[in-house]
Amino acid sequence: MNRLGGALRELYRAEEELADEYVKVGERLGAEHELWYGCKRFAQQCHAHAEAIRNHAARYEAELPPADDAEVGESSTAALRHKLSELLGRRPESGLVLLRSLRQLYLQAQEVSFHWLIAGQIAQATRNAELLADVDRLHRETLTQIKWLKSQAKEASPQALVAGQPLETADVR
Amino acid sequence: MNARKSDRVADVWGDRTPFGQNETWPVRVDMQLAVAETEVDDWIQSACVLCSNGCGLDIAVKDGRIAGVRGRRADRVNHGRLGPKGLYGWQANNSPDRLARPLMRVDGALQEVDWETAMGAVAGRSQQLLREKGPLSHGFYTSGQLFAEEYYALAMVARAGLGTPHLDGNTRLCTATAEWALIETFGSDGDPGSYTDIDVCDTLFLVGHNVSETQTVLWARMLDRLHGPDRPKLIVVDPRPTPAAREADVHLALRAGTNVALLNAILHELIVHDRIDAAFVTTHTVGFEALRETAVEYPPDRAAAICGVSSEAIVEAAELIGRAERLVSTVLQGVYQSNQATAAAVQVNNVNLLRGMIGKPGCSVFQMNGQPTAENTRETGANGALSGYRNFANDDHVDELARLWNVDPLTIPHWAPPTHAMQIFRFAEEGSIEFLWISATNPAVSLPELHRIRAILGQERLFVVVSDAFLTETAQLADVVLPAALWGEKTGTFTNADRTVHISDKAVEPPGDARADLDIFLDYAERMGFRDKDGAPLLKFSTPEEAFDAFKAITAGRPCDYTGLSYDKLRGGSGIQWPCNERHPDGCERLYTEYEFPTRAEYCESYGHDLISGAENEADEYRAHDPRGRAFLKAAEYIPSDEQPSDDYPLQLTTGRSVYHFHTRTKTARAPQLEAAEPDVWIELAPGDADRLDVSEGDVVEIESPRGRVEARARLTGIREGVVFVPFHYGYWDEPEGSEPNGRPRAANELTITRWDPVSKQPLFKTAAVRVTKIAAGEPVRTSGREATR
Repeated sequence: MNRLGGALRELYRAEEELADEYVKVGERLGAEHELWYGCKRFAQQCHAHAEAIRNHAARYEAELPPADDAEVGESSTAALRHKLSELLGRRPESGLVLLRSLRQLYLQAQEVSFHWLIAGQIAQATRNAELLADVDRLHRETLTQIKWLKSQAKEASPQALVAGQPLETADVR
Repeated sequence: MNARKSDRVADVWGDRTPFGQNETWPVRVDMQLAVAETEVDDWIQSACVLCSNGCGLDIAVKDGRIAGVRGRRADRVNHGRLGPKGLYGWQANNSPDRLARPLMRVDGALQEVDWETAMGAVAGRSQQLLREKGPLSHGFYTSGQLFAEEYYALAMVARAGLGTPHLDGNTRLCTATAEWALIETFGSDGDPGSYTDIDVCDTLFLVGHNVSETQTVLWARMLDRLHGPDRPKLIVVDPRPTPAAREADVHLALRAGTNVALLNAILHELIVHDRIDAAFVTTHTVGFEALRETAVEYPPDRAAAICGVSSEAIVEAAELIGRAERLVSTVLQGVYQSNQATAAAVQVNNVNLLRGMIGKPGCSVFQMNGQPTAENTRETGANGALSGYRNFANDDHVDELARLWNVDPLTIPHWAPPTHAMQIFRFAEEGSIEFLWISATNPAVSLPELHRIRAILGQERLFVVVSDAFLTETAQLADVVLPAALWGEKTGTFTNADRTVHISDKAVEPPGDARADLDIFLDYAERMGFRDKDGAPLLKFSTPEEAFDAFKAITAGRPCDYTGLSYDKLRGGSGIQWPCNERHPDGCERLYTEYEFPTRAEYCESYGHDLISGAENEADEYRAHDPRGRAFLKAAEYIPSDEQPSDDYPLQLTTGRSVYHFHTRTKTARAPQLEAAEPDVWIELAPGDADRLDVSEGDVVEIESPRGRVEARARLTGIREGVVFVPFHYGYWDEPEGSEPNGRPRAANELTITRWDPVSKQPLFKTAAVRVTKIAAGEPVRTSGREATR
């Protein structure tokens, strides 16, 4: 495998790991309905990205690990996680769990985004128009994931961290 | 023409008064009185609050009680007409089971108390929570039934008094997608068209809009065109054989949840056959190339396979739309409560934009409302935006509002969008909201997945306040119930789907100790001691007219500019369309007549969203590509809904309305003619499906989803095979068990799924999978209303 292949392999790995994280978070936070559906969709999107990368990898002599297609609600521990999410979902601490999960997803999505950036550079330097077109389209989807994670975090954090305690501002008006 | 009494149950739309293109819709005055006309003491100006059409009417008063109604001939909306709910629904005001005293839960049961005790308990609990847990412990869930003045007071209470983002209306269930579809395309809320566009159009395109049953008087206007000379073409998209569908030139009875695929195919045809106004698109829109790239992926054959309609029908519909010279498109719940709600609604906007058919007589798109005062929750900021269509993500907008309210901008929560209804209930479920005030709505019947909603409302740790006129299913679960005055018993204004503002004057006193919601909110604000920066009371009004003037002051310069309106101006003639200001002293019939859209970064109501995921666009990004007055063409690929029919649950459930009922029947079931017309829940099945299930007309069947079950009588109709329909109006207050389905579950929302559109956050009531089983044989049911709408 040449160095270029190694870079695509990193991207592939990061997408698959992000997909796994979406699956885990989606199942762990089943009571957060918007998150459940978002995670489900984005896990699928990451798998689709990984598949697209696989198609390019051969050209750079990269051997990729076998594809994973885990989906939210269908993993081996889904039922257990779902039960836990229902129990946990009626406790105020569920907001903190949500926030931690969003942080993890956000960091991993940023990592994916970084690898897309590198893949774009490779595509340009190797004059690979097909790869460039895919990078352009798929990187934009990753950036949308990041925007979505930010939207979720902005909405969730005040309720998770501030609700339940007195407002300590000297003068709230 | 004299006012006439007629049986508007059997004859829902009344006599035809056909008229031709560009003619004036003839007047036909409808009236319903419990006394002889000569006996009426007084006629008081108002408008109807039993659908979103907003028909002007006068309330008849006899001996201090409401004795009937008469349509206002001068009103631009209805030209004298009233529909069945308008004609008969007023009787609910006189119902003997109106709430007349406050109730409070004592030792587990609701008991009558006086106002001082009830409000003392509400404010006491609220103050304690505010002290110990901060403002985010408070949530408010309001209605599409109150007046603008009341929503505005509530918005100030929540946003500037307490400083909580957790305020939304049940308008989230009916109209949030209309709001967001308009914002995503045009930069701001506000329906661009006028009902007079119906009079002028040559083509009507109704998408998921059963206008014949949801807005009967608007349908009468359309019918009068359809039965007149130069009949407009009519294209209807609906899985059910609605009365409108039966009048259509092309009826596309698509599979539920596939609107985006169908609309993309129509866009495909318009683009491929060059039926677009290229000059308009280039000059006045952004995003055409991306839209074209998406649309070309949806040739009619592909959409036909997804939607389960014929490719020829799609082509024919696109032909009619493509040839139209004056196109009116309308959208309602078949889009708003279905899969990809906002994405689909925006594609209808795209149809009109591609054809350059906006801002001209007979050319518009209507993103309709479900409720009479839904427009006002949006304008006043009692739902998903800040007051006056302001952008929570734009600090200048927040600062301006804070200046107008004389509060610190940091008081007004704007770190994220105002919390939507389903999330408010989620916060109550996890326990971080501990005080929930529900006004004039009934979530225990109208929200999805009712077993969950009942469990949330029934929690010991949640303090639930309900203001309502009746002991609804929700009120039965409350800690404090506040008896509210109804329409006709208080003064206020409200606005319909074509921006027509009506005044509704007080005609009679409310029963017993019941009070107007405005007075209740003002009392709460007073007890809570809400102050502005200078220590003066935050809410500086005490009467409806003062509240109206305060509200209109904060609309100055915004798209929904009310500054030229006053109570005096609204009295005597017709309702008036906003904007009404110096530039438009008598109101404004159509928006965007100069094709300047409110998309400028500094002016727009939102920076918009990714239509698929709901991710919010960011301010910097928006400014970098500022459309500066051009409209957005936003594309969306079709994505199948999550809950698809399976072996266990092979049918698609769609819920919806009866022409005779409103919301959860709180009012309409108390009007004898309406109640007799449709007294009980039913399920509509296609004959093919019924055959397979061995079900005949009138049999009792069980409908099950993964979330619950309902029992209903079967009706065999021309509904699309594989899709069943259950009306959502029916609950339990008039059943032996009260608030719960202990005996016979009949609320459609026992079955629905907790799922909402990622952009508008509107719950998707039309996407559940169910199975149907016969329980018992039965006879066909005859009701006074049946035949009229079959």
